Amino acid sequence: MARKLFVFISCLLLLFPLTGCWNRRELNELGISVGIGIDKAEKGYRVSVQVVNPGEVTAGKTSGNRTPITLYEATGDTIFEAIRKITTISPRVIYLAHLRVLVIGESLAREGIEKPLDHFSRDHEVRTDFFIVIAKGSTAKDVLKVLTPIEKIPANKLYLSLETSQKVWAPTATVTLDELMTDIISEGKSPVLSAVKVTGGVEGQSQKNVEKIDPSGRLKYTGLAVFREDKLIGWLNEKESKGYSYIRDKVRNTVGTLVCPEGGKIGVEVTRSKTQVTGKMNNGKPQINIEIRMEENIGEVECQIDLTKRKTIEDLEKSAEQKVAAIMLGTIHKVQKSFKVDIFGFGEEIHRVDPTAWKTLKQNWDEQFTHLDINVKADVQIRRIGTVSNSFHKKEEE
Amino acid sequence: MMNTVKISIRQFTVLVMFYTIGTTILIIPSSLAADAEQNAWIAAIVGWLLGFIAVGLYILLSRLFPNMTLIEYTEKVFGKWLGNLFSLLFVIFSFIGASTVLFYMGNFMTTQVLPETPIESFTILFAGIIIMGLRLGLEVLARTAEILFPWFLILFMVSTLLLIPEIEIQKIQPIVEIGIKPIIKGALSFVGTASLPLIVFLMVFPAFVNNPKKAGKAFIIGNLLGGLFVIIITFLSISILGPDFSERNMYPSYALAKKINIGNFIQRVEILMAGMWFMTIFFKTSFYSYSFLKGLAQICGLKDHRPLALPYGIILVVYSLVVYPNVVYMMDFDSKIWVPYALTTCLFLPLIILGVGTIRGKMKK
Repeated sequence: MARKLFVFISCLLLLFPLTGCWNRRELNELGISVGIGIDKAEKGYRVSVQVVNPGEVTAGKTSGNRTPITLYEATGDTIFEAIRKITTISPRVIYLAHLRVLVIGESLAREGIEKPLDHFSRDHEVRTDFFIVIAKGSTAKDVLKVLTPIEKIPANKLYLSLETSQKVWAPTATVTLDELMTDIISEGKSPVLSAVKVTGGVEGQSQKNVEKIDPSGRLKYTGLAVFREDKLIGWLNEKESKGYSYIRDKVRNTVGTLVCPEGGKIGVEVTRSKTQVTGKMNNGKPQINIEIRMEENIGEVECQIDLTKRKTIEDLEKSAEQKVAAIMLGTIHKVQKSFKVDIFGFGEEIHRVDPTAWKTLKQNWDEQFTHLDINVKADVQIRRIGTVSNSFHKKEEE
Repeated sequence: MMNTVKISIRQFTVLVMFYTIGTTILIIPSSLAADAEQNAWIAAIVGWLLGFIAVGLYILLSRLFPNMTLIEYTEKVFGKWLGNLFSLLFVIFSFIGASTVLFYMGNFMTTQVLPETPIESFTILFAGIIIMGLRLGLEVLARTAEILFPWFLILFMVSTLLLIPEIEIQKIQPIVEIGIKPIIKGALSFVGTASLPLIVFLMVFPAFVNNPKKAGKAFIIGNLLGGLFVIIITFLSISILGPDFSERNMYPSYALAKKINIGNFIQRVEILMAGMWFMTIFFKTSFYSYSFLKGLAQICGLKDHRPLALPYGIILVVYSLVVYPNVVYMMDFDSKIWVPYALTTCLFLPLIILGVGTIRGKMKK
């Protein structure tokens, strides 16, 4: 009997430590932040947090006149302090585990992004699966202020837009925190981040923006931002960014244009692309060989060309090879001339093939990079020409 | 001495395996990456091979003194006073081992999972199960290991399979760049964490194993399997997170589990993966504790160690809270002090016992 009582009482007592309620944080106590922007403040940082307004994003009963997200901002000496300070204006604690994008303002990026990033790698709540982007020509706060159609949560739109454009268009880069930190530290590769631009000024900031068919305020990715170590030094335009994606073998699908022999254009879809970058030490000098293999389909014909002949396709393949090589070389020359940093990871390639030579080369790798011997070889196969053979243009004109 | 308690060969193998994995799985990828960078997995393999030397030594010792525990034959070899002094060194090693491992558990929970919960709540709960296990005895611990083994295997296989798509082989290149020295250094810390503490099994082996002849083989297989799991985790950690990120992460295995993402559907499963090391840490702490209690009981000439379990548990919890004043001290201790300490207690001490024991045995003849 005494034993039974003892067991019973211990079971009761065990209820207290085993409830797991010590650290409980109910869903309605969390301010789920999906986007964070960091800007330079006079002292320290200005942190803007895009918090989901749960009542407005649930399916069904939305009141409709409130915005789906709210922006809170605070300044602090450190990021950590600023985020905590937000509780003075927000009813809920900021919860970072669902972060989708981290936007860094241009002026802060020019001074260096290493320091503000530390908190995100140290905090236990933050995961590493969000994308980091740079606000081109504006503050990060302005980027997070724009309301977007289709995707109710703007941070989600930033995330998905970047992911999709990387998948089917190529001149953007999806960079996560761990990749960025590895690139900053690496001696043989400098980081790049996608740049995002706000158009339409203040009009994007109110609910009215998403009531229009053609919203005036929009968020748009425009090429890549180039860094030396952790400092922003310049931008690549769309074409150069595409070259970067080709070299880094990030292209999965994209669309390009070829010029017909007698004028006019042909639109091609790249369906497969595989780049191999190999380093080599040639008489004590580093050398990089880039080999790209692509498969393309013709998607649009805007000129008079006889697609039924094998010769035509062969010629087109040649011109496509020259085109893609020119795109890649153009990017490389631009970076060598204007930025003088190795964003392509060529240094790491040399490191992989010849660790001993790398030890001396890495001392002034960026200098070495500017006059690096680079060979590009392209191999393009045009596989299909779509659902029709020759274009109807021809008949019309005859 | 009456040996009524017996465990089977299979149970012994699983126990050795769990003990080898122990906290190693949590911390070793990070310290290996600090030493050997992208070649951490090579260092792990070297350490794994070196581990056989340690296990071989323990098997030799057990052949010399079958049916006795480490404490008993230390006394037999060196006499009462000197023998007990050596035994005390070993017993203290077990105690420090147990409290550091308990701290790891609590520290992992407070750093990664439940940062606002006081560390005491984890260590007390965890120590509670350990005391229970100790009071119920060796056989129960062994059977628990047998039952938990398939679960461990499932978790491990699932996490490895889910992580395979994330591997980037460039991250482990260039393969031969780092010299011999860092690899040896990494290998030593591997041996120090994974293999050398296996000395605690000299309190169980071969006296309490039901088939002493096959027990030696089981010891080797257990160590081999355990090491294999750790090597796989180290390899994954380097090839997925990269040497640099593995080094900076306090718990790379947890960071690895966070990476799991299959079609945006199977994701955020890291806490399930943490279940793996809860199991292994439980056995590591239990066996450190078991060898401490059994050792202390034998030094003091007590017949049964079980009554000591509860007071021991209380002291263990308190000591685990003060064993490391802060996390930086912990990292410093692990990388600089633990390896020489483990080498002294777990390699040189048994070597001396083996040497003196052999000479004395021959003199008697």
